[in-house]
Amino acid sequence: MTASTTASPTRPPGAAPGPDGAEARRRARRGRLYRLDVKGSPYLFILPFFLLFAAFGIFPLLYTGWMSLHSVSTLTPDQSTWTGLGNYTMLGHDPVFWKSLRNTVTIGLLSSVPQLAIALGLAHLLNYRLRGRLFFRVALLAPYATSVAAAALIFQFIFQQNNAGFANWVLHLVGVHPVGWEAGTWSSQLAVATIVMWRWTGYNTLIYLAAMQAVPGELYEAAALDGTNRWQQFRYVTVPALRPTIVFTVVVSAIGSLQLFGEPYLFGGSGQGINGGPDNQYSTLALYVYRLAFNSEHLGRAAAVAWVIFLIAVVVGAVNAVVVRRLRKSA
Amino acid sequence: MRPSPLRSGSRRRPRVLAAASAAVLLAAGLLTGCGSSDTASSGGTVTLKVGDFGTFGYNAKGANLFAAYMKLHPDIKIVEDNNANEQNYWNATQAHLAAGSGADDIQAFDVSRMGQVTTTLASRFTDLSKVPGVAKADWAPVKWSQGTARSGAVVGLGTDLGPEAVCYNTKLFKAAGLPTSPAAVAKLWGGSWDTFVNTVGTAYQQHAPHGTYFLDSGEGLFNSVVGSGATQYYDASGKAVYASNPSVKAAWKLASQAVAAGETPGIAQFSTQWASGFANNSFATTICPAWQMANIVNDSGKKNAGVWNVATAPQASDWGGSYLTVPAQGHHVKQAQALVQWLTRAQQEITVFSTPDVGNFPSNVTAYADPRVSGAKNAFLSGAPIGKIFSAAARRIPAAPIGQYDGVIRNDMGNGVLLMEQKHESASAAWKATLQQITTDTTG
Amino acid sequence: MTALTPPAAVPRRPSRRPVTGGAGRQHHGGPVTYLILIVVALASLFPLYFSVVAASTSQSRIAQSPPPLVPGANLLANLRAVWDYNGPGGHTLGLAMVNSVIVAAAVTVSTVLFSTFAGFAFAKLRFTGRNALMVFVVATIAVPPQLSVLPLFRIIAGLHWTDQLQSVILPSLVTAFGVFFMRQYLSSALPTELLEAARMDGANSWRTVWHVVFPVARPAMAVLGMLTFVQAWNDFLWPLIALTPSGNPTLQVALASIGGGYDINESVIMAGAVVTTVPLLIAFAVFGKQIVGGVMQGAVKG
Repeated sequence: MTASTTASPTRPPGAAPGPDGAEARRRARRGRLYRLDVKGSPYLFILPFFLLFAAFGIFPLLYTGWMSLHSVSTLTPDQSTWTGLGNYTMLGHDPVFWKSLRNTVTIGLLSSVPQLAIALGLAHLLNYRLRGRLFFRVALLAPYATSVAAAALIFQFIFQQNNAGFANWVLHLVGVHPVGWEAGTWSSQLAVATIVMWRWTGYNTLIYLAAMQAVPGELYEAAALDGTNRWQQFRYVTVPALRPTIVFTVVVSAIGSLQLFGEPYLFGGSGQGINGGPDNQYSTLALYVYRLAFNSEHLGRAAAVAWVIFLIAVVVGAVNAVVVRRLRKSA
Repeated sequence: MRPSPLRSGSRRRPRVLAAASAAVLLAAGLLTGCGSSDTASSGGTVTLKVGDFGTFGYNAKGANLFAAYMKLHPDIKIVEDNNANEQNYWNATQAHLAAGSGADDIQAFDVSRMGQVTTTLASRFTDLSKVPGVAKADWAPVKWSQGTARSGAVVGLGTDLGPEAVCYNTKLFKAAGLPTSPAAVAKLWGGSWDTFVNTVGTAYQQHAPHGTYFLDSGEGLFNSVVGSGATQYYDASGKAVYASNPSVKAAWKLASQAVAAGETPGIAQFSTQWASGFANNSFATTICPAWQMANIVNDSGKKNAGVWNVATAPQASDWGGSYLTVPAQGHHVKQAQALVQWLTRAQQEITVFSTPDVGNFPSNVTAYADPRVSGAKNAFLSGAPIGKIFSAAARRIPAAPIGQYDGVIRNDMGNGVLLMEQKHESASAAWKATLQQITTDTTG
Repeated sequence: MTALTPPAAVPRRPSRRPVTGGAGRQHHGGPVTYLILIVVALASLFPLYFSVVAASTSQSRIAQSPPPLVPGANLLANLRAVWDYNGPGGHTLGLAMVNSVIVAAAVTVSTVLFSTFAGFAFAKLRFTGRNALMVFVVATIAVPPQLSVLPLFRIIAGLHWTDQLQSVILPSLVTAFGVFFMRQYLSSALPTELLEAARMDGANSWRTVWHVVFPVARPAMAVLGMLTFVQAWNDFLWPLIALTPSGNPTLQVALASIGGGYDINESVIMAGAVVTTVPLLIAFAVFGKQIVGGVMQGAVKG
């Protein structure tokens, strides 16, 4: 079966010749239409997406790739000089690039892993019969809807380095010395990861919740009849049923980490945002793209970093595909 | 019989879809219906768009300069495209300039962008030096030279200037046993940055109230010292000399000494913590360009009125300020040039300076004789004669040339000072790292 | 990319009776559940509350540490400053607000619709090039949007679309994210038997999508719609380049000019943040019943 999984093999329309000629022709026409529908409609379904995507998604990608092979200023993109892989080799001995790459990975891990675990748990709780369900959901969406500038301001207060900052005040209560949050490497990354978690946990919760709604209730009923408790139901019914969505959030979080930009940029404020800290201690790859393209005007090198991000994403996607396949085989 | 999904589906036609199709139609209607209402002239009126950032004050209450100009020229209509954030403004403007379309008739630039504007972008702008009424002698020398391209074309005309003084906290000075009158305070350091850091700064720190610092920022000190040199990061031929220029090295040494003596809090300027420092009276001084007085007033809050005062800086120096340019891609270049000329005349710069909540300091030196400037006092800053102090400084600022990556170098140097403060790197290690960073940032 | 679709872990068939519940809804939440959710809700809402507090004080009060925690008396004055963002007699916020609604609504409807179509095709239909296309789509999510604005502006300038709403609507009409999301959701939530049954009834692909896929996809469409709307509403990097504050701005573009200057006025900026965020949350609270209803009614009915 090559055409469509929806085609039922038991029903080849228009296959049997009818007694009546007109009826046979009608059936034959329906059969042709049917085959046309089965073969053609998948392409029609993806066509609107790909048409728009080609113009506004793929073209910029290719343009960026082309620019990455040139020495070119953001201010004069028409005056470019071919450098081949020069921009990429230059990244090899660019300390900010390597710091940004390392930070992207560590901030990504610091934020994604707890974020997704918490989101899954919260979605499970929200799926109970609750009073004020609507309130909780709108509240969970609030961090995503709140302007990043407002969020950045409050987190700048929370992570002030003096005693007045909220985080240091809490540390003080447990007898720990105040931390210079923005100045330190780990402390600043932890702070940025906290902002990321705050902003995106509710977002992932809502995604999980939507997927949980689609799990048939009878699975739970059956599980309940088997005498399982809530935790076991969560573990053995909910999580397996959510696997595609979990894969989705893991992939999207990994890719989202690669694109992390707004949080470190605003955490640094108007002075240090563009650098990701004086020692680039919380600079990320996407932030470095921004700095190269819009501050030091090196469009070619910025494009090279952007393509490095893209290629990493391809690798992440491929590794993920292999892992999922292995898991399935071993299961 | 199994219920057909088809029929049950048709009973519950998703409500979303009705709304969906409506919105798509609405959007489609807009796409086709929206005509272009460009900057084109209509009925003999020319519309000039002015793109700027932050506060230029032209449209502010009390200034109303655009309204005044439109009254003088009934055939001109002016609209302002303002972005509070300079980086966001720059992003959009460079996209418009690069594409050769979409720029406003007049575009403003911060001096930190003038390195690129007068080199890479110079050909995108019209020469303002030949516009009737524009005279080199009217501007502070530094302002004129930093708006001029290598070809001699004047790409930008100066709006405001950032002459620097030392703003100081009288409460903290008193607590540390230092004098508090502006004359006596200026005498403490005479004309020497070295005395400022290594005598006055150390003396303050010895008797300082706990948790306070002589300076608000090491970077601010470094920038001011560099700014008082006749050569900074580039020489007149456009060659980068930041690594070898003795006055840059001297500034670096001074900054490192201030850091080592504990005179700086180790935080970035304009950060939330820095603003808190003013609210909580943690800084004894800040080397303040004229425009920075607004930060002191607003961040300190009413309860600190009369706490700050202003004294003459060890040496005259300049930081910040902006330019107006006329992109060549505009359709009304002549009218735009005339407006730029008018906006940068002394009368208009004085109006902006004396507008409440604006106060940008004129770069047109003919404004300084006007009593509205020379007699200006700042009530919040203990009634300091700011007009006199800043115009005296403005005339003495050396006309140092700037180069393509001036803004980038300044940013990297500032980071280097923070490395000494936050990572406790030695002066030489931080200097080496900074030079390497600048090389990376200014190459291809 | 089949690897991304593990076979539906749970065997499933169309249920004979309406199943009202999704996961675990037979349970009531206990006190611990409420406690956790209330703490999370407070943490989520606090920065929003703080924006209101900050918007009602002065700049110097915000700068003080500890920062203010109860509202002050300047809210109206700061809102007034936001209202006059383009100077007295400048544009009003009304136009910007209408523009934002148009842009966000058009982008949301189109993203949800086209993502569902494409997601369905990728999840349940077989066609040549399916897997390769899907890998490509997923990878493109990673392209940093910061750089796309430069080529995008060339297109828009070439079409003479600057300062017109289509310049911000068209580039956002579809997202790779949306397609990936719908594909993953439908791959497990849409029972193949349901599609077969539709075939048996003689439905073509379009009728199948309309009557089978859409009802099943509703919870995911509702969530994707909410997330897309918020995203479009808050987007500013590209709109700031394509639109101008004096011409045809969205809310974010219009409010980009407030609170600025050498000395940034945070309390006015926070008032602007309140003006942009609060209508959004009110809209979700009002329409929330329907959206949540969509989520709750679940797919498996029918």
